[in-house]
Amino acid sequence: MATQWIYSLQELRSDHNDMVGKKCANLGEMTHMGMRVPPGFAVSVEGYELFMNQTGADAQIRQYVRKNLASLHHNVEKQVEAGRYIRRVIESKEMPEPMKADLWRHYERLCEQVDMDRMPVAVRSSGAVSMPGQMETYLNVRGRQELIEKIIKVWSSAFTTRAIAFRLEQGMAMEKAPIGVAVLKMVNARSAGVTLTVLPTNGDLSKVIVEGNWGLGESVVSGEITPDSFIVNKDNGHVASTISKKNKMVVFETGGIAFVDVPPDRQEQPCLSDIELKEIVRIAMEVENYFDAPQDMEWVLDQDLTFPENLFWVQTRPAKYSKPVADNTEYLAELMTRIFKM
Amino acid sequence: MKVYDVVPGLEFDPEQDFAQSPAWFLDGTHSVPPWTPMFGWFWINFCRHGMQYGAEKLSLPTVKGWDWRFMNGGGYLTLLLVKTEEEKQRREVEFRKAILPFIQDYDGLWKGFVDEILGRYADLKALDLDKACNIDLLANFEETINTCRRMWEIHMYMMYGTYTAYILFENMCRELADIDDTSPDFHRLVSGFDNKVFQVDLKLWEFSERARQDGLADLFLNNNGPDLRHLLQETGNGRAFMTDFMAFMDEDGWRMQRMSEINLPTWVEDPTPALVNVQQFLQKGGGFSLSDERKKRTTERLAAEKTVMAKVPEAQRGWFEQLMRLAQKSGVFSEEHDHYLDLYTHAMMRRSTLGLGNRFVREGALNEAEDIFFLIPDEVRRAGLIPDQFDLRCIVDRRKAQWKEWHENPNPPALLKEGFDMDQAMGVLVRSNDPIALKVVVGAMPQVRPELKADLYGTCGSPGVAEGTARVIMTEDELHLVQEGDILVAASTSPSWTPIFSMIKGVVVDRGASLSHAAIVGREYGIPVVMNVFDGTAKIRSGQRIKVDANMGTVYLMND
Repeated sequence: MATQWIYSLQELRSDHNDMVGKKCANLGEMTHMGMRVPPGFAVSVEGYELFMNQTGADAQIRQYVRKNLASLHHNVEKQVEAGRYIRRVIESKEMPEPMKADLWRHYERLCEQVDMDRMPVAVRSSGAVSMPGQMETYLNVRGRQELIEKIIKVWSSAFTTRAIAFRLEQGMAMEKAPIGVAVLKMVNARSAGVTLTVLPTNGDLSKVIVEGNWGLGESVVSGEITPDSFIVNKDNGHVASTISKKNKMVVFETGGIAFVDVPPDRQEQPCLSDIELKEIVRIAMEVENYFDAPQDMEWVLDQDLTFPENLFWVQTRPAKYSKPVADNTEYLAELMTRIFKM
Repeated sequence: MKVYDVVPGLEFDPEQDFAQSPAWFLDGTHSVPPWTPMFGWFWINFCRHGMQYGAEKLSLPTVKGWDWRFMNGGGYLTLLLVKTEEEKQRREVEFRKAILPFIQDYDGLWKGFVDEILGRYADLKALDLDKACNIDLLANFEETINTCRRMWEIHMYMMYGTYTAYILFENMCRELADIDDTSPDFHRLVSGFDNKVFQVDLKLWEFSERARQDGLADLFLNNNGPDLRHLLQETGNGRAFMTDFMAFMDEDGWRMQRMSEINLPTWVEDPTPALVNVQQFLQKGGGFSLSDERKKRTTERLAAEKTVMAKVPEAQRGWFEQLMRLAQKSGVFSEEHDHYLDLYTHAMMRRSTLGLGNRFVREGALNEAEDIFFLIPDEVRRAGLIPDQFDLRCIVDRRKAQWKEWHENPNPPALLKEGFDMDQAMGVLVRSNDPIALKVVVGAMPQVRPELKADLYGTCGSPGVAEGTARVIMTEDELHLVQEGDILVAASTSPSWTPIFSMIKGVVVDRGASLSHAAIVGREYGIPVVMNVFDGTAKIRSGQRIKVDANMGTVYLMND
């Protein structure tokens, strides 16, 4: 196929946002920086457009929209209906053979790379612009057929009711979706969690906080359990840890993921060893320096690999945190006044 | 016919103006060589307006900005001091409130202004000057005038606020950590930040990498700068390169070859200066990486922050760190404002005036489009709507002759009232506590330390030591003479000089303070800069071997 629509992460940098979406561009930048990210590849926005164009889905949607445009504005029911219709159109299409071949070649290459047949992958949407919806993620996707199915599902997920309302408000073409897809090896997670290089509650920039649980990171991100928490002083490495009782964790199962009980003997054990914690903090501080801004990061430890090869990063982005209370403001203004008196 | 003053109302008049102030300083950085009348009119009117606006808006306790006069193509300026103690105290109360936005949300403040001014540029650029009717063309020119006025308001308001914070930080460093702005550690504290000018340099560097990969390196290395743009069009790879390069120019090339003049093409019109930068990066060879240099600066800064913070008493660290973060914006602002404000506005001025110039030529009011730079806005308006009815060529002829004369007789560095000398004049500047006077115009005075046996003494603009061949450069036109590994010697530098900083080993400037261009850029490129040596360009010869030790503020001439 003439047009390139699949990219290895090594080919991508953060300024490829428009081409492959934010998540993929970010993973590319992380790869470039030397952070270990799960092996994988990116499906570009172009891939979505090829599919829509070659299957005739875009023409079908355009025709539908032309007919219904007048009734769509400010009519939520019609928008819900339009979303259903469009998703059905997209999901009913067979991926053209040359695209399948391209996709499979990349998938097989990935399987060979980690030496595993029908390797499970995570299929995540990677939007190029901030749009409501577009949050679709499919975990533990195995084999060629399911991979195709889930990629198409990610594409169709760009047509939630809210996303349709958004297109109408912005005057954006209805069949367009600036959406890429990240396909990444599922890490067989022993533990996973998040790391912030600033304390989000008080804006203390001198500390790193690491929170983790057994299993996949979803349990930590969703906030349904109390994770282990480690607050590390950036200057002297001093650690203040709080080991919680972790009774639930997320694991992957056939066809998806599940919340399961943590075996009793591991519930009160820290989910990280000392050297793993040290390594996480070391890399987090490097990344913070690289971007020159506090980072909010996600990591996973693979139970099939040994340290330090077992540490994978899946996300880093600027951290949101409350700035320290600006009670120095008046004082600084007063000091500035004084320099005119010297 | 009678030719008007170039800047009506603001031409230098010894009788009146010495009564107002005994000392007027030439703005050597911006008005040597002498300005064209059009550019001088814009600068004198609106830089003056901006400085007074900034000082008023912030209610600076001791100064009300600067006054400007025009004389023979040069800009002369003097401070406007607050006269009574009582007024100072009143202004101080207001200042304390007016400075708060800078402390509370500096980035938001600056970004708001950048968005505002970029919006104005977009509006100006939206008009197709060739196809526009005379009415729209003149309206575009009037809007350009308004944009220039607004640009200078933003410029000087931001500059006064930003530099005030910087000066406080410097004072506090001296008081609490025992370092000042001539010390290397201080410079490490304020470098290693990303900014728009650096990003443009980085893109140029990336284009040099691409040229290497696409087999265009030889073409760049074996040809002269001015030929590059044509030669590149002769091969497939070259054409593809130029297509992307011109797209980049259209985004970021709205800048002038000369910092403060509009009579040379913008990068959008003629990308040669930018292509020469690509060429210079190629000459450096493959091992050099601009982004690695940046990372080094950042690492050094973080180390310096730790060292300095450790010296500050624990109880003071909270506000000290907040002040440090604020002061660190100064370098970023100094570089970025040139890109978003001065250079971009000047490109808009050139665009709009040339649009009118072309129309005037077409309708017979002028011989050459560029002759419009010898008119001032009032004269442009005379023929603006119906140029076929007017002949402006006689004004142009007279002005051109004057302009040529200005070039032959350089303007004196200061206009002093009888009985008043340069030392007294400098004293007034320093005592004003005007942030711009202190940090951009005057700077710290060098200490002569005979035990160091140096040939010239200056202050540290950027730390480091280097030895190499001196290259004395007086104007932008001579920049191509700079060779890899040279030590640049100049009166001062400006943003259009930035890219050569990646080639040179060090800088010596006659005049400058810690927030002048040479110091800021020297710090970002990690090369030593010795400032305020006063007669470097007079005493050092091109080709001579020299050694600079910026840490000590010394320059040694190795052979005569």
